Amino acid sequence: MVEFKNITYNYSSKSGIYNIDLNIQDDEFCFLVGPTGSGKSTLLKLLYFDLFPDKGKVNVLGYSSKKIKKKDIYKTRKKIGVIFQDYKLLKQRTVYENIALPLHINGFGRKKISSLVNEALELTELSRYAKKFPNQLSGGEQQRVCIARAIVKNPDIILADEPTGNLDPTAGHRILRILEQINKEGTCVIMATHNYKLIAEKPYRIIELDQGRVVSE
Amino acid sequence: MIDKIAFLFSEGLKNFLRNKLTNFLCIVTILINFTILGTFFVVGFNTDSLVDFFRSKYTFEIFLNDDVSLEQSTVIIKQIESNSVISSTILIDKEKSADIFLEEFGEDVVDMLGYNPLPMSLKVSLEKDNFDLNKVELLINDIENYDFVDSVEYRGIYIDSIEDKINLFIFFFLISVIGIVFISIQMISNTVKLSMSNRSDFIEILQYNGASDIFIKIPFFIESILQSIIGSFIAFLLVNYSFIVINSYFNLNVQIDNFLWAWMIGLCLITGIYASNKAMKKILV
Repeated sequence: MVEFKNITYNYSSKSGIYNIDLNIQDDEFCFLVGPTGSGKSTLLKLLYFDLFPDKGKVNVLGYSSKKIKKKDIYKTRKKIGVIFQDYKLLKQRTVYENIALPLHINGFGRKKISSLVNEALELTELSRYAKKFPNQLSGGEQQRVCIARAIVKNPDIILADEPTGNLDPTAGHRILRILEQINKEGTCVIMATHNYKLIAEKPYRIIELDQGRVVSE
Repeated sequence: MIDKIAFLFSEGLKNFLRNKLTNFLCIVTILINFTILGTFFVVGFNTDSLVDFFRSKYTFEIFLNDDVSLEQSTVIIKQIESNSVISSTILIDKEKSADIFLEEFGEDVVDMLGYNPLPMSLKVSLEKDNFDLNKVELLINDIENYDFVDSVEYRGIYIDSIEDKINLFIFFFLISVIGIVFISIQMISNTVKLSMSNRSDFIEILQYNGASDIFIKIPFFIESILQSIIGSFIAFLLVNYSFIVINSYFNLNVQIDNFLWAWMIGLCLITGIYASNKAMKKILV
């Protein structure tokens, strides 16, 4: 499902990732760990074609970084749910409207949208906040809205870029539990984090990066 | 699909209502540009009427030989009037010619000379609807060759000169129209760019959630369409009613094209859509 073949990507600041080879399976839960600047976010950006490798190729859900045209990137992104450390929520819209956004993009009808958003709200325990605006919520709650938005369209892959980075440990564990539940339902989850404590006892694959290279798996 | 379209329309409408100041400024810009443009349209439209007016006034005079009798002149008139470019022919006999001379120069030519030297002539008016300068010139050439004709007084050259000036005006008019459309494109394009950069977060979130470029563009297009319709419609009302007032105040007969509204709104819509597409192309990479 996800394949990195000898990937190299250089930023102008001379940092980047170098010669990465990785395969991630359909229903896998996988952590990308490493210090800040180790290349975790770069790997995720390569997965949703926000970046393109200088060398090698990335294959995601049947799309290849070598062949995909810029105008077709959205087709891949429709199948991927992305969770950001800074949430990226629309402040002028309610929690419900934020979560419904990917469904509007996918052209779902009003009734279907309502039922799917309510399911996502229940799973992320946000039902009572549906009519609130993001700035009326705590950081953990906003991150759950971001997760609900990512899962509502039933994606094949969830990419979570430091989803617990701005949260306290309790909120962080709660986020991780939700992601584990999503994974149990068959969705591949790739989560970048530098919070070793949070994932220490988890039975999932851990890919450790340092200075743009995989140092352990 | 209908839900998607409804969503996009409501997004466009919401954006339009949210960005009141930007939209207001854009509408004012369109209003100013298209009021000038509409005025040019009306002036341009009446230039044609002006040409028609000159053409309808265009007459030529045939001076007949001295030996042509009144009976013969009647036959000649019938012959000339059978041509489709001729509207009417008036016979000016020797007595009438003397009256005209008296009117114009204040002297009675018969009293002065003891006889009437003025020739009998025909004043020929041209058909306004079937006016064709080439046909008229051919006809005049033919007439000049008739035995009973002494000379033909031909003023077509003035029409040509007037038409040249009008053509020059039309050329400047077209240059001005292109200039105004170009300014409008730049203005609308900048407004869309401003609007898009204000909503760069929204665009980014849409892109990360799998929105295609066209999905992102449609609400901005709708915004531009609304700006164009409102701006150009107010401009049309302004131009239309201004000329109605001018007509009644100065007792003029400036004609306003029945489809002026369609020209103005149509051109503004095309300009608006082109300008927003141009702006979005630069931003949505």
